[in-house]
Order: sequence, then C-alpha cells, then structure tokens
Amino acid sequence: MTLHERLETVFQAVLGNDELVLTDETTPGDVEGWDSVAHINLMFSLESEFAIQFAGNELAEFANIGELKSYLQQRLGGRSAA
Amino acid sequence: MAGSLALQRADELRKDGRFNEAIEAYRQAASGEEIPPAEICLNLARCAHHLNQGEEACRWLRRLVDAADTFTPWQAGASLLEQVLASHRPSARRSARVAVLGSYTTTQFVGMLRLAALRWGIAVELYEAPYAQYRQEILDPAGGLYAFKPDFVVLTLHAAEAALPDYSRAPAEEVQAELDRWRSLWEVLASRCPARLIVHNFALPVESPMGHLASRLPGSRTAMMHTLNARLGEAAGETVSIVDCERLSALYGKRRWFDDRYWYVSRQAVALDALPMLARHTAAVLAADLGLSRKCLVLDLDNTLWGGVIGEDGLSGIRLGAGPEGEAFVAFQRYILQLKDKGIILAVCSKNNEADAREPFEKHPDMALKLEDIAMFIANWKPKSQNIADIASTLNLGLDALVFVDDNPAEREVIRQMLPEVEVITLPADPTGYVRALAESLLFESASFTEEDAQKTVQYRARAEIARLQGASESLEDFYESLQMRAVIAPFDALHLPRIVQLIGKTNQFNLTTRRHTMQQVQAFMNDDDCVHMYLKLRDRFTDHGLVGLVIARKDGDVLDIDTLLMSCRVIGRTAEHALLAKLCEEARARGCTSLRGTHIPTAKNVMVSDLFANLGFKRADDPAGAAESATHWIYHLQADGPVESRFIDVSSTDEERRHDAA
Repeated sequence: MTLHERLETVFQAVLGNDELVLTDETTPGDVEGWDSVAHINLMFSLESEFAIQFAGNELAEFANIGELKSYLQQRLGGRSAA
Repeated sequence: MAGSLALQRADELRKDGRFNEAIEAYRQAASGEEIPPAEICLNLARCAHHLNQGEEACRWLRRLVDAADTFTPWQAGASLLEQVLASHRPSARRSARVAVLGSYTTTQFVGMLRLAALRWGIAVELYEAPYAQYRQEILDPAGGLYAFKPDFVVLTLHAAEAALPDYSRAPAEEVQAELDRWRSLWEVLASRCPARLIVHNFALPVESPMGHLASRLPGSRTAMMHTLNARLGEAAGETVSIVDCERLSALYGKRRWFDDRYWYVSRQAVALDALPMLARHTAAVLAADLGLSRKCLVLDLDNTLWGGVIGEDGLSGIRLGAGPEGEAFVAFQRYILQLKDKGIILAVCSKNNEADAREPFEKHPDMALKLEDIAMFIANWKPKSQNIADIASTLNLGLDALVFVDDNPAEREVIRQMLPEVEVITLPADPTGYVRALAESLLFESASFTEEDAQKTVQYRARAEIARLQGASESLEDFYESLQMRAVIAPFDALHLPRIVQLIGKTNQFNLTTRRHTMQQVQAFMNDDDCVHMYLKLRDRFTDHGLVGLVIARKDGDVLDIDTLLMSCRVIGRTAEHALLAKLCEEARARGCTSLRGTHIPTAKNVMVSDLFANLGFKRADDPAGAAESATHWIYHLQADGPVESRFIDVSSTDEERRHDAA
C-alpha cells in the first residue's frame, strides 16, 4: 500500500466512513466528523500505523492532507513505501 | 503470502460494494483462526452493516473486542457501532442507561464502553456529561444527569482530582478530609437518584520528586494517594463499585498509561491505547453489577488441569507438581480453587473413562483440586456439547452462566458453534499462561462477596447513612464556594495575544458568535478606543486553568455591543461568564453606555449557550436590519437590571495582585 492508501485506510476506520476519499488539498473542514476529538484520534492512530511519535506541538497542527503526508514522508525517510 | 492476498481480494470486493462476496472472502481469509484478526472482524461488521444486517454486524463487533486491545480498531468499532445502533436494536442479555461523568475528556471512552458492554451482552444507552463537570452534574438537581435517569453512573477520574498536597505534616487528617469530600459527593448522588455508582479510583502517576523516599513518608502525596485509594475502597463497601485503575495502570504499564502529550493537547488523562482495557474492565464491573457474571467453570482434565493424558500416561506419568510445566498446572488449579472459594461453581467435563479421570483427584499428592470441590463430574465419551448442556440443566443454571476451559482448540470450536451462550476461554498452548488467560477474560468479576461479610455490610450501611446526612446539605453554591476561584480580568495585551487568537480560532462550544478574528483584526480592536476587550484567567484550589475566556465589545452610541464572548470548555460550569459580564457592566458604565447588547449566532456546536443571555438576565430584543437570519439579539439595561452578579469568583486586574492575594 502507498503512503496515501495507508493514510486513507486509517482515516476511513477512525472516522467510520469507508467511502472517504482524501486528496492532498483535503482539510479538516472538508470532512464530516473531523472535529478536534477526531483529530486527536487520527493523530494517535497514525502514530500506531507508522510507528512514530508526534511531538506535543505537532499534534494540533497540519493544515491539509498534503502537509501531513510530506511530514510523514520526511519522518519515515527510507522506510516510506511510496 | 496467501493470507494477505486473500485479504487484499476481500478489501477490493468490499470497496466495490460487493459485500456478500467480500464477506465470503473475509471468512476464508480468517478460516483456521480461533479468534479472527481485529481488522477482519471490523470489515465483516462493515459489510454486514452495508447489507443492513444489524445483528450480524453486532456479532462481529463483539468478536472485535476479543480480537484487539489497541485504540484504532476499537475506535473504528465504536464509531461503526454508533452507526449500526441508529437503525438496529441489538439482541442483548440486559439493557442499561449509563451516565459517564469524567474529570478528563471522555468522548473516546464512552464509545468504547458501549462497545465493550455489547461484548458482555449489555445494550447501553449513554449519557456523557460535559467535559470535567462531574461535580456540577451531581450537585445540580436540575441538570442533565438526573433528567437522563441513569441506572449507572460511571465516574472517571484522574489523580490530579485528589485535593492532596505534595506533602503534609498531618496525612491522616488530610486523607480523611479528602475521603469525606468524595463520600459526600457519592451520597448526594445516592440521595437524588437510585443509580449504581461505579468509580474509577486514582491511577498514581509515576513521577515523584520524592523518589523512593515517598513510600517511607506517610505525608508524601504518593503515600497519601495510596491510602486514599484504600479508604475509598472501604467506603465503597457494598454500595459503590470500584474499577481499580491503580492496578490497571500498573498492569498496562504506567509509562504507557500516562501520555502527557495527549493531556496537554486534548485533556486526555489516560493514553488512548489504554482506553480499550479501561472500557473492557469497566464493562466487566457493570456486568457484575447487573448479575451477568458467570457462575460456573466447566473444566477439561488432560492437558488442562495436568500435563499428559491420564488414560495413557497413568498416575505416575502425568506432569503435575514437579518441573516448570507441573508447577504451572498446580498454579492454575490453585487459581481455580480461589475462584471456587469466592463462590464459583466448578464442574468437570472430560473425555475419559470415569475411573481414570477420578484417579488423580483421589490419589495424586499434588492435586490442589479435590473431588469435593467439583459440583458435577462428567467423564465419558459423549460429545462435550451434550455433557455441558447436561451440566447446565442439572445444576439449574442457564447456559449463559457457564465458562468452558479446554486446551483443545477443536473442542473449543465445537462448543462455540453448538452452544454460543457458553463462554469459551482461548487457552494459550503453554500452560504457564493459563492463569492469565482465565484472569484476563474478566468473566468472574463479582459485585459482592459471601455472607460472612453481612455484618460488615451493616456497618458500611450505617456509615454511608451518616455521610449521606452530612453530604446532602451540600449545594452547587457550596461547591462553587469551595473551589475558592480567583480570576484576573484585564485588557488584551501583546503578551497574551497568541493565546487570545488561538482561543478565538478554536473555541466551538461556549462561543456566542463564533467570529474567527485574525491576529490583525484583534490588534485593530486593541487600537480602537471604542472597543472593550478583556481576557479572563481563572484558577481554583486545584488548578490554574490559565487564560480561558474573553470578551470583545464595541461602543455603539449608548449601547455596548458584544461582538465576541467565549470560554474554553475547561472552565464551563464555573460561573466564569458571570465574572466577565460583571466586569463588562463596569466598563460599559465607565464609557457612558446604558445597556449591553448581545448576539447569539447558533451553530451545530454552540447549543450549550443558546440560553446564556436569558440566564444572565438579558431580554430578547428586535433583530437589527441586516443581521443574519438565525441570530438572536438580546439587551441588558444597566439601570433597570443592575450589574450582572458574580458571587463566586474573586476578581483582580493583574497577576501580581492575584499572586499577592493567594499568598
């Protein structure tokens, strides 16, 4: 699975919407149910999925999916699938 | 790998909306697994949900609970369950109305509790109190809690809620006072509604500046917290149930149980990954209180109570007593004996010749279990499903009172298929893991303990009655007084600007107009002499909440118009808005205004403030031309109505003054 697919799978599971489609431009405002609690759920689930830890001040950030993806790519370095 | 290919195929079918085929594919991918992986359980539940098969979806969600104990699958399961419940009432052994009152963010926990309860056969109707308002909810007879009419109230607490100092010269008195404070809260609840209370006791944090010395000093906070937990347990007696979070956090691993990052960001006091375990244990206690705990343990013999096969290996050949394996079997028997001593009925169901099966009980020196411990002993060659049904009917128990333990996965699978009401323990291959497998099934939680404690129960009842009489006089006003709240209310300044802009940007619930002013706009307000802008910092005897509220208003002739009024959800329900409005009244007068005008713009999230202006004494006013249609407008006449009253918060205008006052 590509990074994007893994991300999408986590979002679908946590937000309870298996038809959810993400693009790089997707923001929290575009997705039903992506409120502040869901955001925390997502961040934690991403930590598990990608075996990383966000620093405290990173948990609340990320303007859109593209930004989150480039962050993950950078963190994963050589480990990233695609 | 064939398995992962099959899974990929199943995922594709599901995404194409071919749910029946996907179900078939998932089942195939999971065949041969005693407990299918969580992901497959979840996807099977999703497919069933799409096909409108609510009961089947619930069945897979129950299996998900057994398959996983991590956050993501549970969160996904909890949110799916919520969707399923919108159109389906699951079959359940019992239903219960459960209110969750917490000292920290409980949103994730409540969903998981509903999921875990479903696993125990309880259909739960939930009420989640507003963030951190457990005390207000209990003290306010007209609040949401009592209107909900709960059967159970779950109080989820974290250690910071214990009002104990870092060190005390009089620890016994200190703990007693804190115990009384909690007991009186419990008793207020008991006097107002018949709900059973389930309390999470305090999980002690790992970091202590006293280090190991703390455990030698009765006056250290660590030592006092231990004592407090013990005393809370005594005080609970028969009337209140306790979920021992101190034990759970240790079992889970405290380094992982506490994750401060999530506390700072979202006031989550228990790490998200630990919530499934907390929900599972809370549900087990709930089930015990509802009388749903299992009553009878049905035991296989060969390779379950001893190593080897008695019919082939003979009395001297079975492994029991000596050697690591033999010791493990003895330990398992001892654990079972303890279950029997707390009232669990034991039965034996073995494929053996009866004389062979009885021989170790009669002759082996290392058997901890004796024949007189076994209520019913069946050893024959009939199918176990038939024998287990016999045991249930002979002992006059429902099948749903039985737990079956067998080392043989095939026998377990047959019982799961033939007698689905019977709980089947998935024993590990290694007997050294048997005790843990049985213990962690949580099937034998008890709500109370034997007749011998009847006398103690009477004492506890008497004690509880006294506390009730003391506690019932406590009112919401008393509570506000007891918080010893102090506020700083002051004009915006550069130092606080980032926090102010952040609050404006993210506050959803207690926000009257939800106007998302930018940093530049706020700076413009600050430079405008016709603008009144004030932030509010709040502290009480427990916590310094920091900068948690603000108001922006603009002079419009002799009216002071409230542009923005908001409060962080950390301090909702503490009358801080009264303090802010009282101050705004002063400012209005100083500027020659005769009235305040408020605007409420409803959103999906700010329902909680729809009555705010009315509660503060504002009157509904005509909507000015050009105003948004859904908005309502409110007026407060300073002369006729007097200043807004704020009785419970001492207000000063600078931090220095506040520090000085506190000292």
